[in-house]
Amino acid sequence: MSAQEIVFENVSKFYGDVLGVNRIELRIPPGLTSIVGPNGAGKSTLMNLMCGLIHPDRGEIRVLGISPRDPERLMRITGYATQFDAAPRWATGFDFVVSSLLLFGYSSSLAERLAWAALEQVGLTDAANRKVNAYSKGMRQRVRLAQALAHDPQVLVLDEPLNGLDPVVRAETIALFRQLAASGRHVVLSSHVLQEVDVISDRVVLMANGMIVAEGDIRGVREEIREHPSQFLIRCPQPARLAALLFERAPVAEARVIEEEGALLVLTRDRGVFTRTLTALAASGLGIESIVPADESVHALYEYLVGGSA
Amino acid sequence: MAVYKRGYQRYEGPRAPHLERLLVLPRQAWRQLSAQRIVTALLALSCIWPLLCALFIYIANHTELWGGLDRDFSKMLAIDGAFMLTFMKVQSVFSVLLAALAGPGLISPDLGNQGLALYFSRPISRLEYVLAKMAALVWLLSLVTWVPGIVLFLMQAAMAEASWALANWRLGAGLVLGFWLWVALVALVALASSAWVRWRLIAGAVVLGFFFVLSGVGVLVNAIFRVEWGDLINPLRAAYGVWCALMGAEMPAGLSLATALASLALMGALLSLALERRLRPVEVVR
Repeated sequence: MSAQEIVFENVSKFYGDVLGVNRIELRIPPGLTSIVGPNGAGKSTLMNLMCGLIHPDRGEIRVLGISPRDPERLMRITGYATQFDAAPRWATGFDFVVSSLLLFGYSSSLAERLAWAALEQVGLTDAANRKVNAYSKGMRQRVRLAQALAHDPQVLVLDEPLNGLDPVVRAETIALFRQLAASGRHVVLSSHVLQEVDVISDRVVLMANGMIVAEGDIRGVREEIREHPSQFLIRCPQPARLAALLFERAPVAEARVIEEEGALLVLTRDRGVFTRTLTALAASGLGIESIVPADESVHALYEYLVGGSA
Repeated sequence: MAVYKRGYQRYEGPRAPHLERLLVLPRQAWRQLSAQRIVTALLALSCIWPLLCALFIYIANHTELWGGLDRDFSKMLAIDGAFMLTFMKVQSVFSVLLAALAGPGLISPDLGNQGLALYFSRPISRLEYVLAKMAALVWLLSLVTWVPGIVLFLMQAAMAEASWALANWRLGAGLVLGFWLWVALVALVALASSAWVRWRLIAGAVVLGFFFVLSGVGVLVNAIFRVEWGDLINPLRAAYGVWCALMGAEMPAGLSLATALASLALMGALLSLALERRLRPVEVVR
């Protein structure tokens, strides 16, 4: 198994009669991976399995070559933040992060230094010495993130890490995730908000009813869904003329002029031919302003694959 | 070279040994406990009886203070098994009260916050978590049980003739062993109660109920049904029976050492099972 990937091989987990996840085959390379699905889809189970908090009934998991049944080694390279307000209310944010590091075996002085660095990363230094009890929801979310980050793990497993953050902090946190992913770490996060993972993820894992319904980068997944024509929204001054030309030259299944937006929505079953034709038409001086794939979003993929939004 | 190997350098420095890391939890819990004024107040209150006992030992060993009094009075001042058992009975009540106050806050907040996953991903096993939390409580209960007990024993040994310690070593050993057993039971009850009952007040009441109500029920069962198995659910009587055996004192009527030990073992096993069932890293909502 790869020592640079998180690997699930035919993994199943049941809680008595209740299905957690079933027959999961997944390889997660470095970068930012989002696990997406509605409540009860199996996202948290997948993350708990990854961290060795629960063990599969069947199959095998390796995190960069380490079995989750070897928690001592696994947790040296893994940072985990639950979706719950798990920080003890009576402790200060700083105490909470320091305690986590002491539990990892760091010396007091090093733990304090790393805790400040982690709190700085999540923008919580001003409130570090306040009790968690007095934190807002967003601050509690950030302090959890700080304890997951503090020991500088190679793999970050974050369950719903963007919940409760205000827009500014959310943007900063996303930038932090992108930075961590760009440095070669595995950042695995779960979310049931499709729109937010759309823009930040290198790859997505779509889950429903304990199973993976699709995985990969969003465009790749979209291209695999052949029964639904691809949709493009094209902005140009003469959408009706463009529609006529496209019907003549490309495999267009449907075209709809949206007058109020000065745009044309086109459905095609052959993306390759269509995009080549469109490129040629754009070069011929039709004044095309923009071409945007209209259904290359996790939301659209989810509707195609599961038949409803998450 | 893979990107992560260029951009990421893992910490490879020294780490504290596993046992030392575990001490973080009891230290944390101890800080929590010592911040509660009512716990400190009860701790201070529970020192009164050991101080009175110390005064008693002092008087018993200074015949010049009561030399004019008769022989019966000198018998009353004997430092023997009965004296130690009385000391243990009183202090055991204080230990239960302390556990009822301090115990409920040890596990329930972690469960309420769904925080166990954090500890178990440090990584700490469930057994280690229980032992670490228990250590804080054991430390607190030790301060009112075997620690003052052994101080009294040593005080008596120092004040009495040299032969006293040799002739009565069993009192010291019995006191320590008996209290260790008691403290373990009380701590288990407090932790199990904290794990299952979210509200502190009720969890504290459960601890008190376990020792005092259950003991009453045991006595009633024996009396109403004219049986002896009521002793199996009577923690106070079972513990007292074991203490008597350890100190070489006469066992309570109708109670054998085997029954007392079986009762304590059964309770310990059930309480451990209760903790095992409750402490899971992940709560499954069915």
